[in-house]
Amino acid sequence: MRFQDAAKDARTVVYAGIQADPLVARVAALLAEATTAERLLARAAMNGERTEPETWRRIFPSLFGEGADAALSRHAELVLAASLEIAGRGEAARSQYRGAVVEELTARLLARRAGPEEPVRRERRVLFDGVRAEIHPYDVTVESSVRPEVFDCKWGARGINADVLNQLDDARSHAADEDVALEVAIVVFDARRSCELRLDRATAEHGRTRLVALESLDELGEGSR
Amino acid sequence: MLIDAARYAWSVSETAEPNSPDGGDVVARAATAYRALADLAETIEDEWQYVTDLVDVYLPGIQGLAGAGPERLGIEQVEAVDEAIAEIGLISDPHKAIDWLSTFPHVVGLALGGDVDRPAGGEGGAFPADGIPGASVAADAAGPEPDDDSPFRLLLGRDR
Repeated sequence: MRFQDAAKDARTVVYAGIQADPLVARVAALLAEATTAERLLARAAMNGERTEPETWRRIFPSLFGEGADAALSRHAELVLAASLEIAGRGEAARSQYRGAVVEELTARLLARRAGPEEPVRRERRVLFDGVRAEIHPYDVTVESSVRPEVFDCKWGARGINADVLNQLDDARSHAADEDVALEVAIVVFDARRSCELRLDRATAEHGRTRLVALESLDELGEGSR
Repeated sequence: MLIDAARYAWSVSETAEPNSPDGGDVVARAATAYRALADLAETIEDEWQYVTDLVDVYLPGIQGLAGAGPERLGIEQVEAVDEAIAEIGLISDPHKAIDWLSTFPHVVGLALGGDVDRPAGGEGGAFPADGIPGASVAADAAGPEPDDDSPFRLLLGRDR
């Protein structure tokens, strides 16, 4: 088993431009240091119709209300402003930006616990002996020689589908054939319960695929898996 | 598990204000808005089952918030829910409606200090409002424990 850079086509070149936008990095950096409530704010604002900050401050009194912690409010203001910048990019672009944010956030959280022997990479394919390579690369990989990991990232639970689950489980299975314990996971910037409902109906094999939902994103940066 | 009252959204309005609105009324408005959102989302035929599953879980969760906190709510809490209702009322795209079927219940739960996953007598929301940025939220991040026979035990990483 080995990792390989994904081939670049026109779509990936365009998307790479979005991934490289400093706004994506800024939002991801803020969300990496955010509470779960702030992450819910970000999800709501980036999905929202209205882009006036005051509207969102009223919707989240626990972050911006009279009794809210001052430091929390200051950070939440930054999260809100950056989220509304993405919302302001327009309907066509915002979905790509949101996806790029989840990928960047995942990579940043993983980097907290990944050592020098476990580089965190983006847009990588995994090749197995005698197995035709998957077309779609994995969003984020931790390329440890001991315990490699691959992550597919989704903005919402609706992104969980048979193709994604099959690709992850196939990779795990092929790695096992080579005596490699490949960890496979799907990271979803959505409520855990919504993801579980989606998975409940999924017929694709996913029993050994880890779910990391919005409430548990910090698990990505923790030492033990 | 110890309950730290300061961690939850009730701390925004720790005492009910005189003549503050009834929690049941606010929750009823949220439930009505949620049903309307579901009606819009259902127009995506391929997602009918998912929409139904979301509503089956979250509508009772929203309704359960009526009994999850103080009878009388603070003005900020009522405004929060009504603003959230206004927000989903602007949605005309059924795909967006599906996204909000997942998000709206948690926004309402956070505003009212309840948990739409565990509305009755839970220990607080799945989306706690606690902590300064960067503070550990590991205990909450783990989310509610799944049932012992839950197929999601492995998915949730409990056995790792």
